[in-house]
Amino acid sequence: MKNKRNFFFILILIASFHAHAQTTNYQSYAVLIHGLIKYSAWPNQQSEFKITVLGNSKAYSEMEKSLAGKNINGHTIRVDKAEDIAGIQGADIVYISEGKSNAIQEVVKATTNAAAIIITEREGLVRKGAGISFIIVDNKLRFDINNTDLEKRQIKVSAQFASLANETL
Amino acid sequence: MKRFIILVFAGLGFQAQAQDLDSLLNISAYTQESELQEQLNHATTVASGKALTTRETPGILSVVTADEIQKAGARDLTDILRLIPGFDIAQDLQFVVGAGMRGNWANDGKILILLNGFPMNDLLYQKNALLNHFPVDFIERIEIIRGPGSALYGGSAEYGVINIITKSTESLNGIAVTGAGGVSRDSLGRANAGVMAVQHGKNMSWDISAYKGKSIVSDQSYQNMSKRGPAQDLRRTSYADPVNMNLGLQYKNLSFRTMYDTYDVSEPSVKTSFQQYFATLKYDWKVAQKITITPQIMFTHQTPWSTWNKSTNAYTFRTQASRVTGNLLVNYDVSRKININAGALYYHDKAEDLLKSNHYNGSNYMNLYNYAVFAQGLLVHRLANVTLGFRYEKNSRTDGAFVPRLALTKKIENFHFKALYSEAFRTPSIENIVLAQNGKISPERTHVFELEVGYQFTPEMLIAVNGFSLNNHNAIIYANEEQMDGSFISYYSNYSKTGTQGIEAIYSIRKKKWYVNLSYSYARPVQGNTVTSYTISLSDKQYLGMLSHKVTLNSNVTLIKGLSLNPSVIVGSKRYTYTPNLGPPAEGTLPAYTLVNAFLRYEPASLPFTIGAGVYDLLNQRPAIPQAYDGDYAAIPGKSREYILKLSYQFNFAKK
Repeated sequence: MKNKRNFFFILILIASFHAHAQTTNYQSYAVLIHGLIKYSAWPNQQSEFKITVLGNSKAYSEMEKSLAGKNINGHTIRVDKAEDIAGIQGADIVYISEGKSNAIQEVVKATTNAAAIIITEREGLVRKGAGISFIIVDNKLRFDINNTDLEKRQIKVSAQFASLANETL
Repeated sequence: MKRFIILVFAGLGFQAQAQDLDSLLNISAYTQESELQEQLNHATTVASGKALTTRETPGILSVVTADEIQKAGARDLTDILRLIPGFDIAQDLQFVVGAGMRGNWANDGKILILLNGFPMNDLLYQKNALLNHFPVDFIERIEIIRGPGSALYGGSAEYGVINIITKSTESLNGIAVTGAGGVSRDSLGRANAGVMAVQHGKNMSWDISAYKGKSIVSDQSYQNMSKRGPAQDLRRTSYADPVNMNLGLQYKNLSFRTMYDTYDVSEPSVKTSFQQYFATLKYDWKVAQKITITPQIMFTHQTPWSTWNKSTNAYTFRTQASRVTGNLLVNYDVSRKININAGALYYHDKAEDLLKSNHYNGSNYMNLYNYAVFAQGLLVHRLANVTLGFRYEKNSRTDGAFVPRLALTKKIENFHFKALYSEAFRTPSIENIVLAQNGKISPERTHVFELEVGYQFTPEMLIAVNGFSLNNHNAIIYANEEQMDGSFISYYSNYSKTGTQGIEAIYSIRKKKWYVNLSYSYARPVQGNTVTSYTISLSDKQYLGMLSHKVTLNSNVTLIKGLSLNPSVIVGSKRYTYTPNLGPPAEGTLPAYTLVNAFLRYEPASLPFTIGAGVYDLLNQRPAIPQAYDGDYAAIPGKSREYILKLSYQFNFAKK
């Protein structure tokens, strides 16, 4: 019994260490998304700007903490979470978490001709239809951008912001 | 970092109207690095063609920084290596002390030591002498591959690589003077001193250093194995004295380095000297943004293992050896995710018997012509980094050796893993070939599986555990046979199998004001070992002179600003050795030991000097240094408690 108690104590201790062990800086994802919204224009933009995070990502809580309710370029930001494709309808930004990366084709299909930027946590998905894919280069958070896709969706990203891209398609 | 914090606040607060877009290029993808993370994220090329962090590099790696060396008050390289899991020291012969690794004797051409890129292994036997040899106070960083490195480094990196980088090539920009003294019992244990000057310019840099030391090997009495003659007082009859001089010049991508190194070690009846001179010229030619071609030439001249008999006042062995190496290396970043590193080298070894005794099969000269080709490919993938490589090496007297290597490594958030399979080899050296039994010797081959998993519980705390299986085939082993007339015949021959299996674990916690590094290592012989000179009938659980279990603790606590206390503990399990006897050597046991050391270091922020004082082997346990094979040398009695004083002065040049 005592051993069992010690075991659980150790488990709790490890879990509590884990809770403070975040090494990826998800705040930086929120900062870059803020920059993107600030330096881009969506066609027929409503007063509410909707970001939907597909799947589980710590970036969701960071965006909720730092972006939700804020006003950028006259639009109020709303951050939602979706577990499946049905939940991404009407989003201005669809943020695909690492765990949902395999759903990229479905997301592209579901947002065809919609004025939505698909942002992926996993690198390289700009080649599969995403508008922006994050990438880590020399420990810095960067992004690849698919201008062709964004133009098709009539979303205008400022040349200055686009010039920050690691790679442009 | 300050800029990053400002940016995050600006981003989070959303008050910045004109966001500095350029600053978005510099957002760290990771949370602020703790000191531990800074160490772990330090990229190194020691085990790969492309720089990777220690948690992703394709090798089981230990990195020791200048800060840790200074704080621990290390007296020499053996103090540092003993704190590394799997490492131990043992006697080769004539009081030359080498390294054991993962429960194996490894000084016999199985560990490569690089000092500023120069291979320190002697050209005749591929051995190293460690005790009080290397200038520890000038070391900037030591990168240790605790596993095979042959695919990258060739035929003397079969079990491991110790890459020593001195401050001369990196951090210092000024003049540093260091001195260390040690007293044990009523004798001067050591007196080492050195001076170094380094200047970095925009296009040109230079460094120069000189180091000289004096030490006794032990302060106890020593009885030789045959018990002929009385026991000798090692305070008067033993020493280990180094001299090292280093000069480096760099102009843009062209670099030149030269080094002179001597080391004299003495036991009661024999003095052994090592003398070596190196020079190298290297050019990093950026052919294109993604391609670097590096041609390098290196010249080595040595007179190693010169053996002076004190009673006859004559040399019994004196041979010089030289090596000229031409090397071409290509590094190509094919894409962000693919790197190829390939090269070819050619080297010519030449030995000359200075005693003119026709040592080389009726001649006083011997030549070896060698070539090698090697390549490594690295694919960085989100699931794993894949390293695939090989090396083929051949010399003019023996068969060639082809060794492949496959590594899968990945860090996923706080977790990392490494799955490694490597083949490694040891090229027969000049003396292995000339003393080959029946004139035939083959390269030694080793197959190594390693698996490491690690988890970073907090930014300051890491646990990593690895298991290994090391199987050596065709081991090149020295034997000494007494003839009917009482004379001895020495020879080398291949033995079919030896090696070990085991585990190693490290726990590191590093806070702002203190740190603790804890390690455990265990090794046991593989089934079917055939190298009888490594075994002893008292135990089949470990090899002669080698540890089975080892626990180390290296810690630091800042008492007040600038003043730190650094306790370290090394616990070793019992070892086996042969002991002096009038008849044939008797088998004996060396008891388990606990080495407790402590070093107090004061580094005032406003003054350019540091001072440190400490004690080694506080409990006065004096662990002996046994011979690692059946070679007729009694264990060197351990030095008793040693009090150490270290001083250093640093003057920094004004920044241009």
